[in-house]
Amino acid sequence: MGSAQLIGLMAFTLSLGIVGLIIVNERFRPFLALFIVLINSVLSSFPALMSFTSGPQSGVLNLPHLAGDIGIRIDSLSAWFILIINFTSIMGVLNGTGYLKSYRHLKVNQELHWVFYVLFHVSMLWVCMFEHGIAFLVAWELMSLSSMMLVIFESHNKSILKAGINYMIQMHLSVVLLTLGFVFLYVNTGTFNFSGLALLPLGPHWIWIFILLFAGFAIKAGFIPFHTWLPHAHPAAPSHISGVMSGVIVKLGIYGIFRIIMYLRTDWLIFGEVILALSVVTAIYGIANAALRTDFKQMLAYCTIENIGIIGIGLGIGLIGIGNNNQMMVMLGFCGALLHTLNHSLFKSLLFFGAGSIYQQTHTRNIERLGGLIKKMPITAGLFLIGALAIGGIPPFNGFVSEFIIYTGLFKGLIGFQGVSQAILLILSITGLVIVGGMSLATFTRTFGVIFLGTPREELPHEPHETSHIMLLPQFLIVAAMLSVAFIPQFYFSYAGKVVSSSFATAFSGIPVSFTPVTDTVTNIGRMALIFIMLIIVMYGIRRLLVRKRASVTYETWGCGYVAPVKKAQYTGKSFNRSFGLLFNFIVKERKTIEKIPKTQIYPSRVNFSTSYIDILDHYIVSPLAKRLTFALNYFQFIQNGRIQSYVLYGLFFIILVFLGTAFSFIY
Amino acid sequence: MVSLLLIFIMSLFFSGFIIRTKSILSGRKGPGLFQPMLDIFRLWKKGSVISQTTSFIFQIAPSAYFASVIMAILMIPHGNNPGLISFDGDFIMFAYVLAFGKFLMIISALDTGSSFEGMGASREALFSMLVEPAFFILLGSFALFTGQSSFHQIFSTLHYGSQISYLLGGLASFVLVMIAMIENSRMPLDDPKTHLELTMVHEVMILDNSGFDLGLIMYTTNLKFAMYGAIISNFFIGMFPYEISIPMFFIIQIGFAIAVGIIESFMARFRMGHNPQFVFILTSVSLLIFFGVLLVLGKFV
Repeated sequence: MGSAQLIGLMAFTLSLGIVGLIIVNERFRPFLALFIVLINSVLSSFPALMSFTSGPQSGVLNLPHLAGDIGIRIDSLSAWFILIINFTSIMGVLNGTGYLKSYRHLKVNQELHWVFYVLFHVSMLWVCMFEHGIAFLVAWELMSLSSMMLVIFESHNKSILKAGINYMIQMHLSVVLLTLGFVFLYVNTGTFNFSGLALLPLGPHWIWIFILLFAGFAIKAGFIPFHTWLPHAHPAAPSHISGVMSGVIVKLGIYGIFRIIMYLRTDWLIFGEVILALSVVTAIYGIANAALRTDFKQMLAYCTIENIGIIGIGLGIGLIGIGNNNQMMVMLGFCGALLHTLNHSLFKSLLFFGAGSIYQQTHTRNIERLGGLIKKMPITAGLFLIGALAIGGIPPFNGFVSEFIIYTGLFKGLIGFQGVSQAILLILSITGLVIVGGMSLATFTRTFGVIFLGTPREELPHEPHETSHIMLLPQFLIVAAMLSVAFIPQFYFSYAGKVVSSSFATAFSGIPVSFTPVTDTVTNIGRMALIFIMLIIVMYGIRRLLVRKRASVTYETWGCGYVAPVKKAQYTGKSFNRSFGLLFNFIVKERKTIEKIPKTQIYPSRVNFSTSYIDILDHYIVSPLAKRLTFALNYFQFIQNGRIQSYVLYGLFFIILVFLGTAFSFIY
Repeated sequence: MVSLLLIFIMSLFFSGFIIRTKSILSGRKGPGLFQPMLDIFRLWKKGSVISQTTSFIFQIAPSAYFASVIMAILMIPHGNNPGLISFDGDFIMFAYVLAFGKFLMIISALDTGSSFEGMGASREALFSMLVEPAFFILLGSFALFTGQSSFHQIFSTLHYGSQISYLLGGLASFVLVMIAMIENSRMPLDDPKTHLELTMVHEVMILDNSGFDLGLIMYTTNLKFAMYGAIISNFFIGMFPYEISIPMFFIIQIGFAIAVGIIESFMARFRMGHNPQFVFILTSVSLLIFFGVLLVLGKFV
């Protein structure tokens, strides 16, 4: 089957599926959606797997009535992302089936939700398949719009609608930049294909095309200062959608960046150093914000920014490696980035699914109102703990594997450094990555501890209990996948290596370096993880054996002599990370709101005091900019007057304009 | 294997040496060198009181903490003799394995639902975050210095050529001593002997642990001290055969213990708010080492 037929078949399944979803009984709708996602996953996974074994699969789509051939190319890089998308999307449907059960009253929304979910899945796959710029942009736009519709599932809620619109605007900013980039590319090379980037004449223009495309993809990926959509969109979306968005959509930004740097022909060093520095700052900025948020879904959203930073560090190392002619660095950097992409999609969707279970049971996203959930929801707690350990990059879980590879890349780069400035950049990057690791430890001990441990801090609307099996099933499957990465990393590493060596073939064309030592080290990491787990089990076994016969009394927590403990006196999430907040107040500002007591007031009455943390980039740069823009654009409000007649007139004007434009083209 | 045995032996006496030094400096005779270990043995035989707020995490954490330190010790070489586990980049795993133990201890403190223990947990998380960069910059500098990237290779190829490199060794020992003090929550940051819960760090985290678990945690502290002592000693014993390196190992370890005792006798605990500044000093000292290495390599031209 050719790639063009594949696209056709997917479009066919999709349209049939959408019709089916509309007419089918609401009880079967999630299962039909699962079925459609499964079919499309199988359809797309075949060529993806083939591209690993027998080289890139390419084809040409020839649509009737449309000029030009649309190139399709599924190489190993696309394949890597296609497989991640398929796995996460299937898990998302499974989890969503359970999650949306509590929204039975929103019938129309559910119907739309599943329709857009299948569309979303297919459009993401198409993003990875299209080689032709315009088709790519269409798929990209379909993906942005359908995900926006998924975000605003609870559309009756004003704040959610606002978050959705914010998301849509920022995504279109990204599309504008990308479109400009592609048009620029077409003007310079006469082709819309990505591979045209390799043909660019090295004049004064070529760097701007890369910068435009990079900025467009960076908005999707959430590099600062383009990250501001993430912390709004993720908490607003239903949890399974946040899981898929954070796990996959932001990764497509990474895919785009990967795709363009493949075609970079010169100046790797400066690109690498800029990406590396930007990524370190992104990671620190993300985790500093995550450490202080009390909304756990927002915390996870900021944590996504942190992980994008870590992936970016990998990309930066790889590029510096090409510039330094250090093949080891190229391999380690890019493989680390790819593996971290995979790992992050696994544990972040796991954590978001867990967060969804908590939200479903407690109806709050504020960690300060929770506590002691481990007794009520032990399985969710255990799964969340595994996710928390993995995302902190702590062995014996999968996050460590990719962070280890990135660290090794940094150290290898440091050993073979060229120039003092590079050495300083690398050591500072190592420091940044270490600080990020330490802060994510603080963030996730706090999140896990405050949500699940201790005693409940507040009376909840109803007693929480363990969630349904259908919501737990995908979480177990994800944990299984995570453990497979943790214990046999060499398997995943070898595939990532294939992607890197085929994508950056020019970097490996010189004297080939043997990568067996690296593969051995990666194999070792898996073995060490296994040894470590065994060691813990043995120690715990010995301890249990020894204390079995000892007297053990259950008593209240030691209150330092105070015998009437108060639930409210427990350490809160805010107090846990307050000292971090003080240290990092140049990144995350604390804002206190105090109601002033009027001077004339004689008797004391109730006064409110609240504190919150603000994201300085959002608050001081992006929001004021948006406000100014709205102010200026308000003058053009007369254009949007709601009269259909004038809209028709605008259409006429536009046609005349285009006509005149072509009529006068001889001037150009 | 050699280093594992030596560290185990040293861990039995380490806190004995500290306590002896402190006693002598304050004009007392002090308990025997093995007394702290006897206390721990006593604890191991005792039953325990467990808070009803806690879950399985509270039960697992001490054993996992102990296991994480053992795993870290397995990676430490003894001069030319590699640790049981030795591979390229093992010091990264070393730091992260220790982080695993810390993670579990922190959540086990939160598991009790006590406000004091949460306070200790918060401080532990903060200080361990701040101290980690110093360790990595230090190892990064020596990786650059020797061109190797595993504990064993770094230490076995470490040669002192010029005066500056001796200075680097000295600074590195200083940084490691301070890291050990912070990781074990000892004097300039935290006073383990204080009786006010509000000012403690590590001790307050384990308020609710008792019996076997408490003994395990206390022994793990000793092991951690001996582990850092072993890393310090590795900076100096790289090129010697066993008959010199093993006595040197013990001399350096005992010197380290005495230094800890002296610091604890003559220094007061810092105010909690000043601690982050102090910890940052370590990072800057390790940056100094890094620049020193660049200087030795002759790249600063």
